[in-house]
Amino acid sequence: MNDLPLAEAQLLALEAVLRAGAAEASHALSNWIGKPTEITSDAVQQLSLHDSTSVLGEGDEPICFCIVELAGVLGGCMILAFDDASGLVLADLLLDQPRGTASEWGDMETSAALETTNIVCCAYLNAISRAFPHREASDPEMVPSPPQFSRDYASSLVEFALMGQAAASDHVLLAQTQFQIDGEPVDWKLLLVPDAESMTTLRDVFSSETDLA
Amino acid sequence: MSTRPTILPAAIRMGEMAVAQSGGVLRTLLGSCVGIALYDRRRRVGGLAHVVLPESRGKTETPAKFVDTAIPALVEAMQALSEEPLRLSARIAGGAQMFKTSVARRIGDQNVDASEALLRTMRIPIVGRHCGGSKGRRMTLDLATGVVRVEIVGCEGVEI
Repeated sequence: MNDLPLAEAQLLALEAVLRAGAAEASHALSNWIGKPTEITSDAVQQLSLHDSTSVLGEGDEPICFCIVELAGVLGGCMILAFDDASGLVLADLLLDQPRGTASEWGDMETSAALETTNIVCCAYLNAISRAFPHREASDPEMVPSPPQFSRDYASSLVEFALMGQAAASDHVLLAQTQFQIDGEPVDWKLLLVPDAESMTTLRDVFSSETDLA
Repeated sequence: MSTRPTILPAAIRMGEMAVAQSGGVLRTLLGSCVGIALYDRRRRVGGLAHVVLPESRGKTETPAKFVDTAIPALVEAMQALSEEPLRLSARIAGGAQMFKTSVARRIGDQNVDASEALLRTMRIPIVGRHCGGSKGRRMTLDLATGVVRVEIVGCEGVEI
């Protein structure tokens, strides 16, 4: 069955836009935590529904995550996900304390995760907004909601985030990034999951773009 | 048909289903989707579907994705394991609204409502239910006993 959301040329054009987002988010995160960081945008994935729910990891272990709802020209959500240890590294970094000092999700640790999500997502979205082809000043902005923190099964989270696309197709599109801080990889993942309406927008926008190329 | 009946314990992914007899465990992780477990206690035939949406609207390629195609497909696949007519009971779980986002708002409730309505129409009694709320669930069906267990992160698991 071939109902892939985007064609190859459209994917490449979208990936270029997302790389701009990752670069700006890297800069913002470096400033926020005071250490050199690199956020790398992986290839945009188009997966079957069956395969999509394992993108944040196989198995039934719960993960922590912050989710931001997107409205405006690009709807859907962004999710910053991490295992407990990797997420708690954030609090250690921000409090300038040795790694491993933070051991549970208290108010301080949760606040660190939420604020980091806010900063990374806003920087990412600002860059995407500017890099989006054929943007006019009068076009709607990308508007992120305040982030929400939770701890749940990874598959349940991804399933929920993908529900909008799942209603329209048997394949879903999502973009994933990897993080390095101070030269060390950390197990954080940032997912961008457009909703069904945004898939139509992306097809239209990048169809024009690839036609021009 | 997305049926994965052989290797147990079977993890059933979004829009899939599995049936088996006598032993082992079927399990799935749910958010807004609904897990529908059917079981015949005498013959120890069980099935579990992870349905995503209430209505197929004529789509036939992925029967386990939709309530209106998944339940008949599950019954048919289970019946194929037994020469005698099965007497099924149902347990359902899932249908959460995990965040206050518009993405999956109300789909969880619609999935639960559609599942309950079709099971009533097919005269399959619903003997256990664990639906709604805002958290994901792990649902397991023990094929030897018919026990369905539901777990939520941070809470004690329950049998339904």
